[in-house]
Amino acid sequence: MSVLTASPTEIYESGDSAVRVVAISEASEQNWLTVHGLANWLENCGAEGLHGAVPTYDSVLVEFDPLLVSARQVRAFVKLGLLELAHADESAKAPREFDVPVVYGGGYGPDLERVAEHQGISVEEVIRLHIEKTYTVRCLGAPAGSPMMDGPAFPKPVPRLKDPRLSVPAGAVSVAGRQAVIAPAMAPGGWCVIGQTPFSVLNIRREPLVPYKPGDILRFRQIRPEEFSDYAGLELEPLEPGVQP
Amino acid sequence: MTGEILIQQPGNSVVTDLGRTRGPRFGLPVNGALDQYSARAANILAGNLDNHPLVEITALDFRMKATTDILIAVTGAPLTLTVGGRPASQWEPVSVRAGESVSLRGIHRGLRAYLAIHGSVEAETLLGSAAPDTVVGFGLQLKEGTTLLTRRSVGPVRQPYFDLPLFRLGLERPSMGSDLLVDVTDGPDVAEFGESGELLFTTEYAVSGRSNHIGLRLGGELPERTTTGEVLSRGVPVGAVEVPSREELLVLHRGRGVTAGYPVLAVVTSTGLDVLAQARPGDKVRFRKTTVAEATAVHRRSRAQLETLRESVNTVFGLLGIGCRPQWQDLPVAACS
Repeated sequence: MSVLTASPTEIYESGDSAVRVVAISEASEQNWLTVHGLANWLENCGAEGLHGAVPTYDSVLVEFDPLLVSARQVRAFVKLGLLELAHADESAKAPREFDVPVVYGGGYGPDLERVAEHQGISVEEVIRLHIEKTYTVRCLGAPAGSPMMDGPAFPKPVPRLKDPRLSVPAGAVSVAGRQAVIAPAMAPGGWCVIGQTPFSVLNIRREPLVPYKPGDILRFRQIRPEEFSDYAGLELEPLEPGVQP
Repeated sequence: MTGEILIQQPGNSVVTDLGRTRGPRFGLPVNGALDQYSARAANILAGNLDNHPLVEITALDFRMKATTDILIAVTGAPLTLTVGGRPASQWEPVSVRAGESVSLRGIHRGLRAYLAIHGSVEAETLLGSAAPDTVVGFGLQLKEGTTLLTRRSVGPVRQPYFDLPLFRLGLERPSMGSDLLVDVTDGPDVAEFGESGELLFTTEYAVSGRSNHIGLRLGGELPERTTTGEVLSRGVPVGAVEVPSREELLVLHRGRGVTAGYPVLAVVTSTGLDVLAQARPGDKVRFRKTTVAEATAVHRRSRAQLETLRESVNTVFGLLGIGCRPQWQDLPVAACS
């Protein structure tokens, strides 16, 4: 049984219906485990009036109904949750793995060459670095439960587009700063799109709407443009344990 | 008895409810009625639960008719309400006969109206809510010819003499107009703006036409971040006041993306969000600083008024037999004289 030592935290008022809890240790992995562990605990503690928790990298936004609980009571829940983390058994939650086929460049990844040029490396090297890494889903972000991940080992951070696109297609595989993401739904976006997966990621007829959750593992794999249609209509699903793609 | 409502002129209208409170943990915004007080009031006046699906009508004229007798209530921005051509009152229950047209015209001094139907309407849900989500492509935007299934018919309830309004439930209506005062509390990142943060309270801002359910864009003097460096993506509260560009202030509303990397200068209170829900392009907005404790107290007082309204509605509807057997016969004779 692995036991988590929670990071020290600070709690900030965020209006009359939310508080922000920030983990402030030097260890980013411990901060991430702390805020996600706290979010899970808050989701399951059954306290009346708590709407839910939105954990990201080092923080969690706790939303509540101010008619049923006060910000002060929510702070007390948070402190209790942090104490309880020390007793939580994290070993039961083995991460699931996802294999994500991607067509890089061309119309599928219009910013691939721009990224290569900015990094001062070849297009092939950008693709290699993107595929080489094993990604952990850090959190679900906007839009529509996007899997936010730490980016590939590029030489420098990737600048966002000066003019964000009004529409980026579902399945777009993008990088920005030191982060990487897949777009579950069509939306505006300012990240550099380097490829696209033919898998459909979002399914609003299913709960949860996206198949992965924070802590799960993603790997990208290059496919040829002519293979794109072979995957049409298929959904992104976790691999069976022990199966290689 | 179930029936149908036929949308004759949709304007800009959707079926919604109080929002998808389970959405943010899955990366979906809460969405739902932007003016929560008016939406709750409409449902209470129609004898529904607060969270029942209802129609949100933004800016444009709207007309519908029903195949059965129904009872409705219209709240939100001031407008001209007619039923079968006769004027009817907003913020009161209104009886509609089968075949009569219900018309909402000339929304003014505000932007959004709410129309609730006793027994509500059938609507699909996603994570427990009917609220539209434009990003994932969920929800019911009404079109000409859309039919809504109503769950309950209500026989005509009408004053026999001169069709005088039957109900006088006297709910306090939110004040509306083109000069809006919006309460905010300090945001979690207020320190990053230094003294320029005070500009938020000394500047009169103008509402841009590019505002929507995701956020309002406001023109005026802008506070400036004194720190630099990338901010890690964090969950942002509804009501977050941010300065993402040198052009406009951004106030996030219920359709906001759940996470973002901009520092949060201030957060609009729950009641302030209802005020902003009614802001029209060109309206003036001033911000006033309050505390979380005071904001909570104000919010609780306004919800207490709605609870009083609910009790009045339950009493009146009980006597008239709306949604139950009439109870007026049970009253002692003295009470009716």
